[in-house]
Amino acid sequence: MAAADDDDGIGSLRAILLAPEQRQLEELQVRLDDRDRRAQDIGEVLPQVLREHAHDPQLARALTPPLEEAITASVKRNPKPLADALFPVMGPAIRKAVSASLASMVESFNRTLEQAFSRRSIRWRLEAMRTGKSFAEVVMLKTLLYRVEQAFLIDRRSGLLLQHVQAGSGVVQDADMVSGMLTAIRDFVQDSFKVSEADSLEALKVGELSVWIEPGPQAIVAAVIRGSAPRDFRPTLQDAVETIHLQFGDLLERFEGDASTLEPARPTLEACLQQQYRAEERKPRTTAAWAFAGVVALILLAWGGLAWRTQARDQRYLDAVRAEPGLTVVSSERRGGKLVVTGLRDPLAKDPLAIATAAGIDAAGIEGRWTAYQALEPSLVLARATRILQPPAGVTLSLVDGVLSFAGAAPGAWIAEARRTAPLIAGVSLFDPLLAMIAIIESPNLLFHTGTPILVPGQDVEVRRLAETLRDFDARAAAASQRFAVEIVGHTDAEGADEANLPLSKARADAVRDAIAPKPFANVTISTTGVGSREPAVGTLDSPSSVRAGQNEADNQRNRRVTLRVSRLAGGPR
Amino acid sequence: MIQKKICMLGGFAVGKTSLVARYVSSIFSDKYLSTVGVKIDKKQLSVDGKDVTMMLWDIYGQDDFQTVQPSQLRGMSGYLLVVDGTRRATLETARQLQAKATDTVGPVPFILLLNKLDLAEQWEIDEPAFFKLVEEGWRVVRTSAKTGEGVEEAFDLLARAMLR
Repeated sequence: MAAADDDDGIGSLRAILLAPEQRQLEELQVRLDDRDRRAQDIGEVLPQVLREHAHDPQLARALTPPLEEAITASVKRNPKPLADALFPVMGPAIRKAVSASLASMVESFNRTLEQAFSRRSIRWRLEAMRTGKSFAEVVMLKTLLYRVEQAFLIDRRSGLLLQHVQAGSGVVQDADMVSGMLTAIRDFVQDSFKVSEADSLEALKVGELSVWIEPGPQAIVAAVIRGSAPRDFRPTLQDAVETIHLQFGDLLERFEGDASTLEPARPTLEACLQQQYRAEERKPRTTAAWAFAGVVALILLAWGGLAWRTQARDQRYLDAVRAEPGLTVVSSERRGGKLVVTGLRDPLAKDPLAIATAAGIDAAGIEGRWTAYQALEPSLVLARATRILQPPAGVTLSLVDGVLSFAGAAPGAWIAEARRTAPLIAGVSLFDPLLAMIAIIESPNLLFHTGTPILVPGQDVEVRRLAETLRDFDARAAAASQRFAVEIVGHTDAEGADEANLPLSKARADAVRDAIAPKPFANVTISTTGVGSREPAVGTLDSPSSVRAGQNEADNQRNRRVTLRVSRLAGGPR
Repeated sequence: MIQKKICMLGGFAVGKTSLVARYVSSIFSDKYLSTVGVKIDKKQLSVDGKDVTMMLWDIYGQDDFQTVQPSQLRGMSGYLLVVDGTRRATLETARQLQAKATDTVGPVPFILLLNKLDLAEQWEIDEPAFFKLVEEGWRVVRTSAKTGEGVEEAFDLLARAMLR
């Protein structure tokens, strides 16, 4: 009884003393049992936890699978929201990838070009030929710092191969057996030297190859490396071992020989397949080579410029020579720093060297090889005729279509001599003493006042000269036993009707005839005619409106005129 | 594809290496045996349509079973225990090796191979001794490395025992 009383007493005492704590405990109990409440509590601290552990790799690894699941599920349900969310980043990402890939292509192209033409590359090609290796292999071996060629994931206990990855497509010995043997060797070293588990074999090295071993609790990662890997490659291996244990720890522990369960560990293993090539050393030779190339380019440029200038100058000279009558260039070339021109030269033509001087070209740089010939250009034929016939003072020679003629008062003896000699001159087919005079007779336009057959002031001088020429012409025609007809044609402007203009034009022709041939000539017949405004000197019959409208008095004045036409009556050239 | 680590255990010159030489693929030379103390070969076989790859650890045979390193036995799923039928002493070594194996990796399947069947007339292990082993529950196969008799059978038996 006493004991029961004591218990009651203690119970009461406890109730009195610990009542508040008891209540708190109960509240806590309720809070822990209530799922909703617990969820709320966790929800409150979760963002903080995530924030504070944002850089914890374990958290990232733990979150990866559910996130992947969530994304996969979201895409399966409706891909659009994710596509919309990714859209703004996809474009730039793709552009960046494309430009990076282009840049790398250009880089590799440059490298290939460099490799293809350097002295070193020739040496390597020779080595490839000598050793029977491919060129690519030699280049790789020479420029390679290190390359992780294979990576093994090995079950630590049994030495069985869990996964194996390799770089490239080289031939690899049976990975299963290599895996076992590696483990055996590792054990052998450990057993032989009685080292502790922590100091197990880390690396094997044979010539160019080394094997780096990174053990984990359940599995080992072994990397076969060609060349010498830097020390900081070790953390890569350690990271791989840690990651694999974190992700596949359970699988590794329960491993019963089915390696396919560890297929998902391959990407981690593949990340160990790193490589690094020797950076291209910048050779000072390159600078020298560029400088040399620059100098060569400058010299070529200067030489080209000089050659171009010389050629342009030569061309200018040759063009000038070709334009000159009596000079014919057959060929030209540069020889011994001189322009050698071969061709034909009329003795009366200009001196080719004088042409050079006139064109501002140094004549000393030109050598002419000219063969004399008789040029048929009219100016030279005329010069030749002048030289041979030596016309007396006041007599000028003219040449039209190979017919030589003259104007001016010449003694009969000279005319007779010229008639005999002229056809023998190269370029002259005929000597016609009258031809030049016909041209003179046909040349003037005698102008009239409006509506009258009265010449404008000043025309009387012209009329007197014409009358004299006509008289002379008649005398020469007689001497040559030839007859001519001279038709005097009157014209009017377009003002007024034909009925008025035709008689007016005829009256103008008659007036001129009266002035120049008051008496008939022996060998020249004079006739007159009026054509009105039908043969205007200015304007056409189709569009005489502006003329008729009298807008241009100067044109009208030129149309109010009388002209002369000469025709040969008894054969002979005309 | 299932992989299993298998050890070949047995005393000196019992014929382990010759026994498997014709039945396995190998890339390593025999000199590994005397240097590293182990040589690894591969034997692929199919049991009831299931592919099994056996990684055979041929462990250098010495009559002193103590020289066998526990590390070499670790992770094995079964083993072949080889005895030279013409030398009774090798059976004793085998017994010690079996004890050591059980000690190291626990009770895993094994097959006892009584080798050199081609020299049957010189055998020191007689019928009673043979049956005694069978009575003890050991799986025993008589083999000849020379003729190949019993070898495939032994591998097949072990594979089945391991997969059971």
